[in-house]
Amino acid sequence: MIIGREKLLTILDSILASSKADDTEIFYHGENFGLTRYANTYIHQNIERNNATIVMRAAKGKKVGIASCNSLEADTLKKCLQDAIDIAERQKENPDYPGLSKPATYKDAKTYVETTARFGPIERAQALQGVFAKVKAAGQTMAGAFSNGASEVCVINSNGVKAHSTFTHATCNMVAMTDDSSGFAYFTGRNIADFDLLAMADKAIGKAKASIKPISIEPGKYDVILEPSALGELIEWLASISFGCKAFHEGASFLSGKMGQKVLGDNVTIYDDALDPKGMACPFDFEGVPKKRLDIIGKGVAKGVAYDLTWAKKEGKKSTGHSLPAGGEGQGGIPLNVIFAPGNAAEEDMIKAIDKGLLVTRFHYVNGLINPPAAVMTGMTRDGTFLIEKGEVKHGVKNLRFTERLLKAFSNIAMLGKDLTTIGAWWGDLTAMRVPAMLIRDFTFSGKTEF
Amino acid sequence: MKAYLQAAIDLMKRTGASYADCRFVATEDESISVRNKVVDSISRSTTKGVGIRAIVDGAWGFAASNILTEDEVNRVALRAIDVAKASALTKMEDVVLSKEEPHKDKYSSTWKEDPFKVPMDDKVNVLIRCSEGLMTKPEIKVAEAYMQFWRTDKIFLSTEGHDIEQTVVESGAGIQATAVRDGEMQRRSYPNSFRGDFATRGYESVREMKLESNLDWVRDEAIMLLNADECPAGKRDIIIASNQLALQVHESLGHPAELDRAFGTEISLAGGSFLRPELLGTGYRYGSKLCNIVADSTVPGGLGTFGYDDEGVKACRSYCIKDGIFVGYLMSRETAAKLGLKSNACMRAHGWWSIPLIRMVNVNLEPDKGTLEDLVGDTKDGLLFDTNKSWSIDDKRLNFQFATELVWEIKNGKRVKPYKNGLYTGITPEFWGSLVAVGGPAEWHVWGIPNCGKGEPMQSAHVAHGTSPAKFTKINVGVAQ
Repeated sequence: MIIGREKLLTILDSILASSKADDTEIFYHGENFGLTRYANTYIHQNIERNNATIVMRAAKGKKVGIASCNSLEADTLKKCLQDAIDIAERQKENPDYPGLSKPATYKDAKTYVETTARFGPIERAQALQGVFAKVKAAGQTMAGAFSNGASEVCVINSNGVKAHSTFTHATCNMVAMTDDSSGFAYFTGRNIADFDLLAMADKAIGKAKASIKPISIEPGKYDVILEPSALGELIEWLASISFGCKAFHEGASFLSGKMGQKVLGDNVTIYDDALDPKGMACPFDFEGVPKKRLDIIGKGVAKGVAYDLTWAKKEGKKSTGHSLPAGGEGQGGIPLNVIFAPGNAAEEDMIKAIDKGLLVTRFHYVNGLINPPAAVMTGMTRDGTFLIEKGEVKHGVKNLRFTERLLKAFSNIAMLGKDLTTIGAWWGDLTAMRVPAMLIRDFTFSGKTEF
Repeated sequence: MKAYLQAAIDLMKRTGASYADCRFVATEDESISVRNKVVDSISRSTTKGVGIRAIVDGAWGFAASNILTEDEVNRVALRAIDVAKASALTKMEDVVLSKEEPHKDKYSSTWKEDPFKVPMDDKVNVLIRCSEGLMTKPEIKVAEAYMQFWRTDKIFLSTEGHDIEQTVVESGAGIQATAVRDGEMQRRSYPNSFRGDFATRGYESVREMKLESNLDWVRDEAIMLLNADECPAGKRDIIIASNQLALQVHESLGHPAELDRAFGTEISLAGGSFLRPELLGTGYRYGSKLCNIVADSTVPGGLGTFGYDDEGVKACRSYCIKDGIFVGYLMSRETAAKLGLKSNACMRAHGWWSIPLIRMVNVNLEPDKGTLEDLVGDTKDGLLFDTNKSWSIDDKRLNFQFATELVWEIKNGKRVKPYKNGLYTGITPEFWGSLVAVGGPAEWHVWGIPNCGKGEPMQSAHVAHGTSPAKFTKINVGVAQ
């Protein structure tokens, strides 16, 4: 539900003013969302929904309670606030309770595009009709999803914080398929006008065509090009298991105890910047703390991790503006807009630099919980995996499993792509990563499958 | 609310829907998390709304809203029709649903002790005592304890005459100790990793876990793993503990048996299935003769237990694998009709805001005989994998890899040495073909998994797997580098 700043603040301020708690915070997330899903080259699922999430945090001294609801009706809001206060009153004191954020100035971020908000199911279906015609003409089938929506986020608290912004987003993914191969294309952004679905279809169809009759190769160490969708999934995991304050201070991150030390290759610079207009910009976090750039890895050296208010107080730091949405309180801060700094190579340059290796379009089912302090991850390739020999893409190959220590992999990056691609992240429309393609030497593939 | 839903059904009948259903869902959720002797968070959430499906011009549409006025429910109904008309622009064939009885019924799950009525202090104090008990040795840097409870009320009406009301209460809890030293981190969890075990029961299920009686070994085994050797790689006979085998069933049989995946309609995200429809009825061997797997939404207390699914199909029991042979899918009304079959009640939605998808229910490996100690005692040279740590499987559910918190070396029928960072990997039909022993009913437990992800936008389902420990031969094992 998109209410609009004035009306929404009137409703939420009224509830805030009625609170008997020492500290009160109200978070609002409203959305109008539509998603068209297709498979076997027709639309099989098609949804539209409106929803709101209102989370209230009330503190009595250092005793904190949280309650949430999904309606702006006065009675529901009053009950929600009372639930939060009741929980707080029956709570134990939390010595780490940091209090609420203080009023701040938020940088202007262009986050809302009216044409994206108004794009509906008919427009999505009509756009896909052209895509499907291309796919059928190529003798292939296609599956994927095309979604768009608008959202409104507001954080107010009893310290006088009033953070509000509106957002739009759209995402499309396509998997083109032959009998024995597939190809993938992906795009996400805040402006529907930036989408070229037909070009995406060409890319997916081209990859599927190029990987027909895939050959089976043995697992082992290969030089590998990870395209942005593949790298994005690894970075998303790293953000969760390594770049947050909780993992860092609990000894679960590969950065634990290594701040200021060289941990990765010289060519690795990773930072978080939610104000980058080319990503999914967002001016404040879920506690109303302003967003700003956070350096995580600078030329291979550990520079910092993300904090929310609670963990910042606990560790004598300042919040970096990386609190999570409601329900994620115990997770501490996690960077949600991670950027892997680009290099200067084109993908063709990377291919030419490989004597024998692989090109990976995308990973499937990556898991980073095997041994988090060593950042060991595993996952499968899918939707376009190719053998490169003597500087040329030769064949599609059957999918492989990688199991690799990312500390090693990111110390063996030979080339970095010059362009960044925006990849949506787990935490929704306020978050995304920006990553390049990269060439890694001696990447470990530990198993293979039958297709 | 029911009157609003009925009016919407009548409206959709008048405005061109060949089929429609309306689902009102209200869910209350309470979550308590304690970390290092301090309450990390206590939260209570409520969500209510209505989701409406319609078939118009032979295609599906869905709309949902959190506003529960008569006007809004009617608007949502008409919007579902508009969305369906958009879908019809690319239609290949008309949606056909399997014939089902239009049930009129009220269902409630059973519980002895309403978890929402247990005093908050009682619940918090248990978790704090658990955290304190886990932290009595300095190697334990993080000691966590959790509880979570849900109450869900649903009303389901359809143009076919369904009129079903359901109430389901679910409870879960768990503890976890994390030992850290010199850049090494090891965890042990009870009764299962990732916040514990869950059931469609009341607070009595939490009491039966006896969390406070299991602190010492959880703490000590986490510390023991800091000193353990890495699990050696090779081809070994392995025993898989009941809680890990539940996830093995989930990933390598539950998901591939979903008929929507087999028809390719989930392929862009979660993937397809090696259990292709043309294999059904051909005697395709999925596993050894000891492999018998049922989809059973009637198991008392299972987290995949309910009265009716979100298409109004009554809960039931059916085989997926019988004596090692693939014999059946998890199905919806639409997918069942494509095979000339009837749905086995597997369509469920995550909340009012989501469309129903084919989801696992209680997908259970039937027990055979003996205990874990019998399996260990019968093993001359092997490994025992206990409690899941990580999971990964390819997009047709063939190549999998699982790591567990603890691996025991077994020599001459005894546990002789613990290993850390162990994993095992395989190809699904080969792996289940190597099944040589399944434990008996005494150690068969229905493990609740409250976070099974599927669909776009992503939905999270409550599912479960009944398993007892089992033994497999000549499995590739290794170490997480």
